[in-house]
Amino acid sequence: MMSPATLLRRAAPVLACIGLLAVWQFASLVLKNDSFPTAIEAIRAIPDILGDKESLINILASLRRMALGFGVAVLVSIPLGLLMGRSRSVAAFFNPLLMVIYPVPKAALMPIIMLWLGVGDVTKTLVIFLGVSLPVIYHSFEGAKAVEEKMLWSGAAMGLSPAQRLVRIVLPAALPEILTGCRTGLVLALITMITSEMIARQSGAGNILFNALDMGQYDTVFAMIIIVGAMGICFDAIFERVRARLVRWSEPQFDLPLSFS
Amino acid sequence: MTAVPARSSEWVRPVTSQEPASVIIEIDHVSQVFQTSARKDHVALSDISLTIEEGAFVSILGPSGCGKSTLLYIVGGFVSPTSGAAKMKGQAITGPGPDRGPVFQEFALFPWKTVLGNVMYGPCQQGVRAAEAEAQSRALIEMVGLKGYENFYPKELSGGMKQRVALARTLAYHPEVLLMDEPFGALDAHTRTRLQNDLLNIWERDRKTVLFVTHSVDEAVFLSDKVVMMSKSPGRIREVIDIDLPRPRRRNELLLDPRYQKYVVDIERMFDESDEAGPAL
Repeated sequence: MMSPATLLRRAAPVLACIGLLAVWQFASLVLKNDSFPTAIEAIRAIPDILGDKESLINILASLRRMALGFGVAVLVSIPLGLLMGRSRSVAAFFNPLLMVIYPVPKAALMPIIMLWLGVGDVTKTLVIFLGVSLPVIYHSFEGAKAVEEKMLWSGAAMGLSPAQRLVRIVLPAALPEILTGCRTGLVLALITMITSEMIARQSGAGNILFNALDMGQYDTVFAMIIIVGAMGICFDAIFERVRARLVRWSEPQFDLPLSFS
Repeated sequence: MTAVPARSSEWVRPVTSQEPASVIIEIDHVSQVFQTSARKDHVALSDISLTIEEGAFVSILGPSGCGKSTLLYIVGGFVSPTSGAAKMKGQAITGPGPDRGPVFQEFALFPWKTVLGNVMYGPCQQGVRAAEAEAQSRALIEMVGLKGYENFYPKELSGGMKQRVALARTLAYHPEVLLMDEPFGALDAHTRTRLQNDLLNIWERDRKTVLFVTHSVDEAVFLSDKVVMMSKSPGRIREVIDIDLPRPRRRNELLLDPRYQKYVVDIERMFDESDEAGPAL
C-alpha cells in the first residue's frame, strides 16, 4: 500500500500535464483566436498525423537524422573532450575554436552548409551533429579535468599506461559529467532537428509542422508541437534510466525527503 | 646509514643491526623547485640525501609546506626532481611502478568499482587470473577488517573504511615499498588511532619497507623505526632519529613507556626551537 506522499509524487507528472492542458484549454476558449485551437482540438488531430503513412515516414526520417547526428557527435566529442581535459596543449588548441562556434546558433550556419552540401540529409545531420557535440565536448572536458590526480597516480603505480589511464580511469571517473552533457545534447538534437527542417523544408517532423502553419491548419501545428514535446519527454526518460543505471555508484545514497513536504 | 649525521644525544643510537640491512631506496642530493610566479621560485626541497633500508618503517615528519609529500612523490615516480635522483634498488626512478605502492590521504579509490573491484584492480592489471585475484583480494579485505563490505561502493563507506580499502588495494599488487602520504590525516582522532594500531599489526606480519609522511609527532614515534625530521623554507632534513622501542608495539604499553614519552617530547622541543629561531636558513 503506497503512502499518500508516495502516491502524490508518482502522480505529480501526470497532474502537471493535465494542469497545463487545462490552462491551454481555458486560455484558448477565452481568447477565441483562430490560430490558437483548444487543447482538445489539438489532441484530436494527433491520431490523424500518426495514422498517416506519409507523416510517419517524415517523422521517421527526422528521427533517423537525429539518431545519426547524436550518435556520431557523442562518439567524436567524448574522446576529444577527455583529451582536452587531460592535455593542456590539446585544450589550448581546441578551446578557441570551440569558443568561436559555441555562441553561434547552429541553425544560423545552415544556409552556408546548404550552399556546400545541398538541402538533403547530410546538411541537416551535420547541423544536429554540431548542436550536440559542443555540450558533450564541454562536459567531457570538465569531467576529465576534475579527475583526481591521485586516482591517476594510483593507476600508474599499478602499471597502467597513459592510454589505459585515459580509457579505464578518466572515462569512468568523468562518466557522470559526460552523461550530463549527453542529456543536454539529446534535447539539443531534438531542437536542431526541428529547426533544420524549418530552414530546409523537404521532409521531416518540422516539415509537417511548418507546412501546416502555411496552410493555416492550426490544430495540426499544435498537434505536432505536442508530438515533438512527447518525443522529448520519452527520449529524456529513457536516457535518464540508462544514465542512472550506468552511474549508480555516484548517485546520492538516499532519496532525501524535500524539506517543505 | 644516512647522509645527515644523527643527533648525538644519549638516546639516539646508531644502526646496530646484526646483519647489515640492505639499502632499498636511495635519495641522492634531490632538490625540487616550483615556479610559483614569473620571477619567484619556491624551493620545496633543498639538497635532500637519505637512504632507506629494506624492511624499515621510516616516517618523514615535518610542518606543512616542508616538502615531505613532494619527497614521497619523487620516490613514487609521480614527480621528477629538479636536480638529483632517487633510486630504488640501485635503479634510477623514472616513473611510477608496482614495486612502490602509494596510499594517499585522499584515498583516491575508484568510485565506480566496489570494494572488491578496487582491491582486485591491481592484480588483474598485473595479469593475475580473475579467480585467483578475487580470492587474494577477499583475504586482504578480511585482513583490513572489512569482511562483509566487498560489494559496497566507496561512497557508502566512512573515511576510515575507505582508507582500509585503499591500503588493501595497494597491498594487493605486492609492492616492495609502501608510500603512505599522511594516510590518516583526514580521519577523526578515534579512527586514526584504530588505523594506526591495525597498520602496525599488518606491517608486523611481513615487514615491508614503509615510507610514511606525517605531521604528527606521536604517530611518527609510535609507528617508526626511524623518524626523518624536516624543516621548511627550504625543505631540508634536520635530523634523523632512530626510534629504539621494542616491537611488537602495543599502544597501551607504549604510551606509558618513558622512552616513548622522551622521544615525543624531545622531537617536539626540536620543532619549537626551530620555530623560535625564525625561518631556517
